[in-house]
Amino acid sequence: MTRRIPPGLIWVAPALSVLAALSIYPLLYLMKVSLTDAHGFTIAHYARLFQDRLFSVAAGQTLLYAAVALTLEFFLGLTLALLVDSLARGRALIRVGLLAPMLLPPVVAAVIWRLIYNPEFGVLNGMLRQLGVNTTSLTWTSGRTSAMLSVILVDVWQWTPFMFLLLTAGLQAIPAEPLEAARVDGAGYWQTLRDVILPLLKPVILLALLLRSMDLLRIFDQIFLLTQGGPGSATETVSLYIYRTAFRFSNFGYAAAMSFVGLLITMLAARGLLRLTVAVPAEPPCVSMRTDVIKLS
Amino acid sequence: MIHFLFVPSLRIGIIGASVTLVLLAGCSRPDSNKALTIAVNAGVEGSALKAAAREWGELRNTRIEVVELPYANLFEKESLDLQSRTGAYDVIMLDDPWFPKLVADGGLTPLPREPDGDFLASTLAVCRSAANFYALPYVGNSQLFFYRKDLFDRYKLGAPDHWQKVLEDGKTIGAGEKIFGYVMRAAPGNSAVTDFMPLLWAFGGDIFDPQGRPNLASPEAIDALRFMVELGKISPPGYAGFNAAEVSAQLLQGTAAMSINWPAWIAAMDDPSKSKVPGRIAFAPMPSARMPGVAELGAWLVAVPAASPHRDAAFDFIYWATDPAQMTQAALRGNPPTRRSVFQSPNLKKNFRAFPAQLAALEAARPRPRTTQWNEIENAFGVSLSQANSGAASPEEAMQRANREITAILERSK
Repeated sequence: MTRRIPPGLIWVAPALSVLAALSIYPLLYLMKVSLTDAHGFTIAHYARLFQDRLFSVAAGQTLLYAAVALTLEFFLGLTLALLVDSLARGRALIRVGLLAPMLLPPVVAAVIWRLIYNPEFGVLNGMLRQLGVNTTSLTWTSGRTSAMLSVILVDVWQWTPFMFLLLTAGLQAIPAEPLEAARVDGAGYWQTLRDVILPLLKPVILLALLLRSMDLLRIFDQIFLLTQGGPGSATETVSLYIYRTAFRFSNFGYAAAMSFVGLLITMLAARGLLRLTVAVPAEPPCVSMRTDVIKLS
Repeated sequence: MIHFLFVPSLRIGIIGASVTLVLLAGCSRPDSNKALTIAVNAGVEGSALKAAAREWGELRNTRIEVVELPYANLFEKESLDLQSRTGAYDVIMLDDPWFPKLVADGGLTPLPREPDGDFLASTLAVCRSAANFYALPYVGNSQLFFYRKDLFDRYKLGAPDHWQKVLEDGKTIGAGEKIFGYVMRAAPGNSAVTDFMPLLWAFGGDIFDPQGRPNLASPEAIDALRFMVELGKISPPGYAGFNAAEVSAQLLQGTAAMSINWPAWIAAMDDPSKSKVPGRIAFAPMPSARMPGVAELGAWLVAVPAASPHRDAAFDFIYWATDPAQMTQAALRGNPPTRRSVFQSPNLKKNFRAFPAQLAALEAARPRPRTTQWNEIENAFGVSLSQANSGAASPEEAMQRANREITAILERSK
């Protein structure tokens, strides 16, 4: 007796095939490479991860980079979104201006900042010298402690607009009634922000944090162009180390093992944020939406 | 909307014009079957080869595609192509320390005939593996010591022939001129290692001992790094993140008095459109210390990948580009030659004042260790050097760490 194929499976088969070809197969292949060396099956690549000082340094610095950049981008993005949202006129123009850094390719942004940060000929130290600041020790991307801060600032400059964009869209979608009710009840600005706006904005905040944190944990291009992981290993990140291991040292097995562990860390972080998103209580039903919808043009 | 295509006379006209255009394009376009794809370094080292490729293409009526890649990406693109045998490149330009790895992967084609004896021995030695030659030397790079002759004369200082004198003269000139006495590059990886090797050798150290064991924890190596950190005190702030471009920019702007540099930058130093101090920089061999000064060899080679679909044409090009006449042309474009006859050509010697120093440095230059693990070793070593120069580690700690990591790299490769 033959079993019938459920009709639903036939409909989702093309999508499943694409998913298998583009996501599942590469992941399985990555795992196979990470468990293989010239002699066959091995767990040596994973064992090496626990002894590799540079990997633990890179992993710690990646987490530090992501945590600091995410915090700064979120608070700056939220502040800007609230400020622009409160303006009566010129919001569209300010939005376009604020989004400009995000529209630049990361390579271009990194090159611009490399020139800005140059201790001798850069515009940043030049301006500080004009103000009478002694810039001898301000080496930015070349300083042992300032290098990480410098690359984080570039990320904040380029990606705060992304936070701003999402949070502005979230603010525009908040129904007018709860805000009016709060005002009628005599709530001040901070009380309205804390008890009405932020709770209603929570799903958007979590989505923004989720998207940015995944991106930040994979940071590569800016650091590669600005510091190459230096000075020493002061700005080495996991992605940079994986790239070097695979393409400079031709050690694809170890690079695959690091990628797999990096993927697991990112998935765990994303899973945590997703659970928070799901746990958010449903918004109160919207009676009427605000009419000043976001315009990007 | 396109009903006009159905008008017979117009249709015939359009078809006729198209056929004529295709025929004309076919006549003027070089034979696409003979197209050559050449991977070159995007920098001063690659410019002469690009120009030579264009000339050869016109001469042989062959289409040339030059793929220009920055130093950091050139190796990985070439290595991937050679390992996967894609045949993407017919000719590749490679830095000499990459040669052992690319040959070990079986990615290069042995030369059909041995290079002639006019090539300098030091540059030919890095093109050979076992009994076969796999590449021809194109850019005769070996480090030179660049210094501001005008300032040395002004302060009545003799040529900087000893590292201690470099440090002292750098302090004197720096204090008197309000510029940096020295400039070096100590960004992690290739940059830091390249500027450290002449110091290491001059102090009597080396990366490996005669038995091939890592030897960076030796007193000589630690002393050399201590001295490098001292030199850092008269270098521009931030030198721990500098690469070749930043070092050359300091010299071209006249803000530093001395540095180690590559001959490919000599033309820029003498070019008034690029330099604020044209003609004021002199070029000398590496200073000595406990041992005579030795420069690091940084020759660029040209080779034909095993998977090249146009091997005959590719070999024709690399032999043509490295023959004495073409190398003379390349030298006129600022390319440091690899042939003795070109260095000794009276016409060229008149125009290129650094040729005698370049030839002397190239003849005595020492290559980096010939190992397939060089990229990984250089990275580990360079990170330690950069840490010492940025103050993140003491010279002792940095060298001991580098020694441990290089030992581990060699263990893993067994």
